[in-house]
Amino acid sequence: MHFQARAGEKVRNPVLQRALQKAKPLFVGKRAKGIAALADDALDFETLRTTCEGIRNRTLADLDVWLDIFEERATASGAEVLWARDGEEVGRLVVDIARRHGVSKAAKSKSMLSEEAHLNEALAAAGIRPVETDLGEYIVQLAGETPSHIIAPAVHKTIEEVEALFAKEHGRPIETRTSADIPDMTREARQVLRQHFLTAEMGITGANFLIAETGTAALVTNEGNGRMVTTLPKVHVVVTGIEKVIPTLEDFATLMRLLPRSATGQSISNYVSLLTGTQREGEHDGPQKTVFILVDNGRANLLGSAYQDMLRCIRCGACMNHCPVYFSLGGHAYGWVYPGPMGSVLTPLYTGIENALDLPHATTGCNQCGSVCPVRIPLPRLMHQLRTDQVERGLRPLSERLAFKAWAWLAGRPALYRWLTRRAARYLSWLAGEDGRIHIFGLAPGWTAGRDLPVAGNRTFHELYKARKRA
Amino acid sequence: MSAKQEILDRVQHGVGKGYFAQRRAAALAVLEAKARGPQPAIPGALVDRFREKAESLASTLAGVVTWEAVPGAVADYLAANRLGSQAVVTPEIARLDWAGCGMTVDARGAVDADQVGVTGCFCAVAETGTLVLLSGADTPATVSLLPETHIALVDTARIVATMEDAFALLRAERGEVPRAINFISGPSRTGDIEQTIVLGAHGPCRVHLVLVGEGALPPA
Repeated sequence: MHFQARAGEKVRNPVLQRALQKAKPLFVGKRAKGIAALADDALDFETLRTTCEGIRNRTLADLDVWLDIFEERATASGAEVLWARDGEEVGRLVVDIARRHGVSKAAKSKSMLSEEAHLNEALAAAGIRPVETDLGEYIVQLAGETPSHIIAPAVHKTIEEVEALFAKEHGRPIETRTSADIPDMTREARQVLRQHFLTAEMGITGANFLIAETGTAALVTNEGNGRMVTTLPKVHVVVTGIEKVIPTLEDFATLMRLLPRSATGQSISNYVSLLTGTQREGEHDGPQKTVFILVDNGRANLLGSAYQDMLRCIRCGACMNHCPVYFSLGGHAYGWVYPGPMGSVLTPLYTGIENALDLPHATTGCNQCGSVCPVRIPLPRLMHQLRTDQVERGLRPLSERLAFKAWAWLAGRPALYRWLTRRAARYLSWLAGEDGRIHIFGLAPGWTAGRDLPVAGNRTFHELYKARKRA
Repeated sequence: MSAKQEILDRVQHGVGKGYFAQRRAAALAVLEAKARGPQPAIPGALVDRFREKAESLASTLAGVVTWEAVPGAVADYLAANRLGSQAVVTPEIARLDWAGCGMTVDARGAVDADQVGVTGCFCAVAETGTLVLLSGADTPATVSLLPETHIALVDTARIVATMEDAFALLRAERGEVPRAINFISGPSRTGDIEQTIVLGAHGPCRVHLVLVGEGALPPA
């Protein structure tokens, strides 16, 4: 199904619309408060943004060197570093590691890259049970769906839907739930998932950052599931993109002043874990085997291209939290792993421009995403660039191409252009009638299906300009 | 061609530069420099800032002046909250006189059945009210993770201003990073059901901090 068809369906889904309308002001308000609080410590958002942008640009400019240093230091600390060209290769590598270590169950902490790789499907096909342990991801997994938001995977689910899923999975009758019951529901999931943490032989996580200085994976969570799956199982697999490297621990500290604030407004997330190597001499917890899988899956192609800025992304979700398109449709309308403005850029770049023609057009051009991005990714400009590429590669529909050709032909003939626009202005003004609004416009009915088209009067710009000059 | 070689070739092509050795040397110099970004200005005593931030993260606090008084403060908290008198403690703090305050403690890593875990911390960060715990033989990571109640002892002399200061202290005292550095800021939480914040998602539901030393008692 294409974006337009999905979008229509989502707009007409009252349950989804209720969930989205509830979430939006919370996301926006929390971030605004978190960013404003920087001033209490005499920190300036724009200065911090510039620094964070610089940290990300520094590693991207010499990514070959930084990956080399990261691999060297991660290996020296006792971890193994593997590389995957694409999602399928990720699946093969993880299944292979699981088999070698006799793994029958893998407990997962949130990882969007594992969604890119369809890792859960690959594990299940090999007879290994993947269990999502982030509460939102758990809900989404029970529903047989995919996350609709990169930091709030179940934002599209109402309490009634969650209750139905829990009742089924946990083998009990459905109860009537209000928001006062959310702590009880959370506790129920905690008890079920605790058993999975204790029995899984493998933990799978992403990494918010890879720190080159120490060969370290940085994990940021609020629930503590990231800590569980990296402390209890005997094997830990980190699946992450090659673009995630940053130089030093100091750089990590700087980025942490903006990542949680941009995501949830928190000055810091509850758990921030820096994980290096394997269980040490004398230690009784932590994995005996740690494997990093560094994934390309389209990333390297963006280096040196017009889209390199997109690789700075730190996956905070602020762009979608401030996007009028996202909050009209929810994340599933976008059709692939990443929703919102960052998804509208990444999906065509990672899955092929021709496979996501509508997404770079799914924008109002308001630039709220660009103004909140903590690493200053010019999202509207990148979407514009994608639209330009579509035109240059002849990917636009025939009707659109003909329309622009016709307009270009007309615009090259000023006398005809003026005559025609005069006729058009009179016609529209006549259509609009007394109240100056067109209620149903036959030439573009979609535009007036949900609103009126106001008409600016019965004179063209050229006529008005001439008249004013004379006066 | 191996996946690694293929990916690195693509990366190198995208980066579009030669001089790998020179660029690598420049990168190592960046690692040496350990430059800091903009630093927060934290007015007043670090312990006061830490206390204020920790409370805002839904942690509770108590203060004692000497280490001898710590087991008593922990026992008082447990009694006041009807949490019993049993706890698992990290071997690092086993030497304190827990039995003298009527507590039964096991010094080991935690298991699922443990209800209360007591730990020290490597240091604490005033900027965000955060504990810094390092994994190790005497400081098993499970004690601050599995029990529903986590009690952490914080030496007020080891409260530093920022995460950067914590890293500097780590480099000075340990030289290398441990397997896990855990920054803990209040009880575990989630907002995944209708954006309603609930404490106690997977980690502890309660975090209680006992400040120890000068400035541990809140200003009257």
